Amino acid sequence: MATSPLPGETQLKDVDAVIEAFERLGYVTDRALATSVYLVVKLHKPLLIEGHAGLGKTEVAKVLAAMLGTRLIRLQCYEGLDVNSAVYEWNYQKQLLAIKIQEKSEQTVQEKEQHIFSKEFLLERPLLQSIVAEESAPVLLIDEIDRADEAFEAFLLELLSDFQISVPEMGTIKARHVPHVVLTSNRTRELSDALKRRCFYHWIDYPNFEKELKIVRTRLPDLEEELGRQVVRFMQATRELDLTKPPGVTETLDCAMSAMSLGKHQLDAQTVEETIGCVTKSMEDTEKLKAAGIERLLSS
Amino acid sequence: MPPEEPDRSAASILAFCQFARAHGLPAGVQQSLAAVEAAKSIGEVARQEFAFTLRAALTSSKHEWDLFPQLFEAFWSASRHRDKTPSGKVGKSGQDAQEHQASFQALTKESIGEGSTAEGETKSVWGASAQQRLQKMDFSNVPQDDFALMEEIAMRLFRRMSLRFSRRFKIRDLAERVDIRRTIRRSIPRGGDPIVLAFQGRKPQKRRLVIFLDISGSMNAYSLFLVRFAYALQRYFKRVDTFLFSTEVVEITEVLRTSDLREALRRLSQKAVGWAGGTKIGESLKEFNRQFGRKLLTGNSVFIILSDGWDTGEPELLAEELRRISQRVQQVVWLNPLLGLEEYEPVTRGMSAALPHVDVFAPAHNLESLVALERIL
Repeated sequence: MATSPLPGETQLKDVDAVIEAFERLGYVTDRALATSVYLVVKLHKPLLIEGHAGLGKTEVAKVLAAMLGTRLIRLQCYEGLDVNSAVYEWNYQKQLLAIKIQEKSEQTVQEKEQHIFSKEFLLERPLLQSIVAEESAPVLLIDEIDRADEAFEAFLLELLSDFQISVPEMGTIKARHVPHVVLTSNRTRELSDALKRRCFYHWIDYPNFEKELKIVRTRLPDLEEELGRQVVRFMQATRELDLTKPPGVTETLDCAMSAMSLGKHQLDAQTVEETIGCVTKSMEDTEKLKAAGIERLLSS
Repeated sequence: MPPEEPDRSAASILAFCQFARAHGLPAGVQQSLAAVEAAKSIGEVARQEFAFTLRAALTSSKHEWDLFPQLFEAFWSASRHRDKTPSGKVGKSGQDAQEHQASFQALTKESIGEGSTAEGETKSVWGASAQQRLQKMDFSNVPQDDFALMEEIAMRLFRRMSLRFSRRFKIRDLAERVDIRRTIRRSIPRGGDPIVLAFQGRKPQKRRLVIFLDISGSMNAYSLFLVRFAYALQRYFKRVDTFLFSTEVVEITEVLRTSDLREALRRLSQKAVGWAGGTKIGESLKEFNRQFGRKLLTGNSVFIILSDGWDTGEPELLAEELRRISQRVQQVVWLNPLLGLEEYEPVTRGMSAALPHVDVFAPAHNLESLVALERIL
């Protein structure tokens, strides 16, 4: 079983195949997520994943790309993201130099213009990159779409419908392979209805004890069993507190790794104090944690 | 499959979508078709996986995600008759859904019902005149029954306002930055010398909004709606920071920063706020200045305070703290619901001490007045 290759797009048989492939790549998943991933691959629809920070939303895209043996193209969204950074930009410096060089040449203005505005001078940014991929459909990860604004969403929606991009100077570029699109959101703002309805949806929640323990075991095979259990138990208890930024699985792994590198075999109060930055990410949260009693949480 | 359970044909799935819509899950045509396609693609699978499949296609938010299982159970359980058409009358699970939503407490512990979706049909019955009536009605007079409708109208108005803000700025035609691309184009026939410059319109700077809500006794009903106003405005303004105060100041920015209004309200009701004693506006402003002033009061902020001006503290303190704020921000807006009353004159010590430092003094007692704020913001 270990020697069979990872399923490409066409060989993806069923949901079990997804679960198995993901686990082989070190991502512990559940049936629901595997089903969503399966549907997305088979039906070529975008997937919108929402959930709190540190729960593996971005990893889904990475693992999907690895599973399909294809490229991962990532677009990190932020406020003010515009066409130049997301789709394409002209290489102005190169163009200016080329114009200067061309100055004395015999070509007509039209020919010169055509040369200046050709692929050679085009800087392809993620969205355009995802369209022009040659060999196989890449995975396009649009990370934290809630940080971009509505104008960008509208543009994205158009792209997701037609999978083509018009560059005014060059014409329309159509996708050779329709990319697999994964969008993630931290829910800081409501996305437009049109975009939401276009995608399949998945909500990633905090894992329960068994699942989180499995994740820790998978990602940190050298971690001692007892230490692992203690870390997970502690984290699960911490999430019950009303922190502004409850720790995600990333934090659990950080905490476990820190304890391990400090040579600890048990998770005691002192270790927690030493590595508190792994768990809480602000002054207020740290105080809340201490107020709740680290000893008490450790023994819960 | 056990007998009597509906089959998984396209027709059943579409019937389920209709059922879901009637019970608070707004799955549109596009999603229904996606559900059918997905079911076909996944093939013969266990019931749970079938549920996952439909859920992926038909939900699009955490709220809907949580709502889905009970709807699925209600429709696809063996006890349900196959030909019972969903008529908008709530079935057993629908009732649970209603209770589930009804338990969301609003700021003043009154439930603003989600039940309005089941009554969604009645919306059309109300008509324009009733809507106009509600827009003019003072917030403190709104009867319990009208609450849900009031909220719906409010959110619709606020969203449209937010959209208008964003469109308004796009029409501007100020020349500021050089548009390199068009300049290069124009320079080609001139051998690369950018003789003719092309300009980009200026990208408008998004403004920050700081909202300071008085939630003491008499102000309660007004703050309720202004919280929704603040929530809706988040979409346009770069940043909306919202605070509640009566005797102390509580920041609720993060609490509102979620995509779901109901969730935001729920979290709000869980936050403990001190109600004891009379309002201390001056003290609260002082506290705000101390803790958040540096961070939030910038040249492109607008400071909005909603209060009736009844202050049990010193008016001098109020004036001083407000003066500090007005020196640093673009505009200080004071919204006073009492301005909605015809006979009102701002003669209380607190209010009159504050007025010199206020740029805009406006009423905020009903939806109409809130929408009118658009001109100011």
